[in-house]
Amino acid sequence: MLAACFAGSGFTQATTRAERDVEAEDLLNFGRFLRYADTPPPRSSFDLCILGQDVLDKSIDELAARETIGNLPVHVRREPDATATKSCAIVFISASESIHIREDLAILAGLDVLTVSDAPNFLDDGGMIQFVHIEKQVRFAVNLNAVNRTHLVLSSELLRVASSVRGKPAAGDLP
Amino acid sequence: MRFWNSQSISDKLMRMTLLVSGTALLLAYISFLVYDLYSLREELIGYLSTQASVVGANSVTALTFDDRLAAQNTLAALHSSPQIRAAVILRSDGSEFARYQRDPSTTFELKNQLSQNEPQHHWTKGRDILLGRRIQSQNTWIGTVYLLAETGDLARRAGRFGLISAGMLLLCFAIAYLATSTIRHLVTDPLTGLARTAQIVTRERDYSVRATIPLRSDELAFLVQSFNEMLEQIQARDRALESSRSELEQRVDERTAELTATNKELEAFSYSVAHDLRGPLQHINNIGFLLQHSASEGLNEEGHMLVDRLLEGSNRMSAIIDDLLNLSRASSHPLHRTTINLSHIAETIAARLQAEKDSRQLRITIAKGAQAFADEGLMQVVLENLLGNAWKYTSKLDSAEIEFGYAEEEAGTVYFVRDNGAGFNPRYADRLFRPFQRLHSQTEFTGTGVGLATAYRIIMRHGGKIWARGGVDQGATFFFTLPYGEG
Repeated sequence: MLAACFAGSGFTQATTRAERDVEAEDLLNFGRFLRYADTPPPRSSFDLCILGQDVLDKSIDELAARETIGNLPVHVRREPDATATKSCAIVFISASESIHIREDLAILAGLDVLTVSDAPNFLDDGGMIQFVHIEKQVRFAVNLNAVNRTHLVLSSELLRVASSVRGKPAAGDLP
Repeated sequence: MRFWNSQSISDKLMRMTLLVSGTALLLAYISFLVYDLYSLREELIGYLSTQASVVGANSVTALTFDDRLAAQNTLAALHSSPQIRAAVILRSDGSEFARYQRDPSTTFELKNQLSQNEPQHHWTKGRDILLGRRIQSQNTWIGTVYLLAETGDLARRAGRFGLISAGMLLLCFAIAYLATSTIRHLVTDPLTGLARTAQIVTRERDYSVRATIPLRSDELAFLVQSFNEMLEQIQARDRALESSRSELEQRVDERTAELTATNKELEAFSYSVAHDLRGPLQHINNIGFLLQHSASEGLNEEGHMLVDRLLEGSNRMSAIIDDLLNLSRASSHPLHRTTINLSHIAETIAARLQAEKDSRQLRITIAKGAQAFADEGLMQVVLENLLGNAWKYTSKLDSAEIEFGYAEEEAGTVYFVRDNGAGFNPRYADRLFRPFQRLHSQTEFTGTGVGLATAYRIIMRHGGKIWARGGVDQGATFFFTLPYGEG
């Protein structure tokens, strides 16, 4: 736990405010390029849940307040554990959760929830999108193998701007 | 216009053909070029719009995730479009996001930008077209793409088109020239020949010339042939006319000669008769005179009466002979025309008539200044006859009035002698001027009936006219004209 806190604080130190803003913005943008292979689950709001230490501060709330995704209002929920995030559209697992990440992902396995994290090795752990820092810029890497285990489909346009993509799009993906 | 009018038909045809085909081709070239350039430009704008749309769509995620490299890669794909010289993607805040330049050494500055709420617009800058298009994502404008294309291809196309058109124009001119040459050979050459022949006919009155008939059977050949036939007919008619005219002239000459000879014979005969009668008549007169004066004692009353009647008869015969000689002279006397004063002649005659006083009151009025160009001696005879007649036929009036005058008419001067005497029946006016025709009996008014015939003959010889108007007991007026000149 201590290590996790340490690591989290370390990461917090490394991530500037501008970068946090970019990550917050990207999180919302992922929602825009997110589709469902079947009919989307019935929702009254597009819920963006945050697990672990909230490194995104209030910037994500400000952004979400004026955005809609798929004509749904965006709600930012901060949840204490993974079980509470099962109904979320996107779950951002903070790097502070790194030791619980495998457990959290196991809870969310098979659910149509897009998992995003800034934790290193997140993709190796079975996560879907991981923020990476390249040349002082926030980019993201995608693990399509994890995505393909759900009904989620990531737009090829999104994949075009990904710094790296693991796996191949499932057949029947939208272009 | 004068230059145009002086051109031959073939030249006119040639010029017209060249003008019409040249104008038509030029207009067609301009309209096709304008249409082509317009449609090419529209096509280019449409192409740019599509490209901008594609680039925009492909740049959405790049803009969304601020991935400039991805946007650069998208723009780099424009390299396959040779018309597009440069492209720029701007973020929604107007800052530059990505750029592409075909030729990196040139700089491309974006001087025009879309105004607010404008999804797309294009600007033409010289030979370049700039097109701007908004990039939209989730109904939000997230950036703008600008594409700069050159229209040099259009200019090259217009040049090529112009070259082809110039070639076509030359070809058209050549065809028009050939066509005109053919038309000249077929139409204008026969027409020119026809015109030349017509000119010779008109100028030289030579109906023997013929136009060359073209070796075809079209309307022109028919026209030339008809023209030649017409000339032939005219020539034939001309010949016939000429021969009949010369025949007529010969006949007239013959008749004139015959008439002249007959007239001369007649005149010679009447002259010699009159002249030869004078001698015997003088004898009769002398014997009568002797009988009346020297041998009157041997005569009884009846004898006296017979001698008187004999003398009266011989006097009358002497007067007739005088008149006949006058008439003969009037016909044969050569005309010596000079400008004479008829008023003077009339005055002299009037003075003589005034001297022969009788019981009546006589007033003779002579208008002054009656000039004429005529033979003086013969005109004296005319006036003596006319005034003498007037004097004679007013002899039974108490107050006689005789007038000589003239009036300037449109056709010339009309002279007249008027009296208020016995006049004549207008029904027999045509007999007045015939020799020995008298409208009054010898007992009423003495006379030979030759005086007016003599006057008539003299006026006729002068080329003038003489006529009379009057009524029984209403006086008579004799008019005559004399042309001022030889004929």
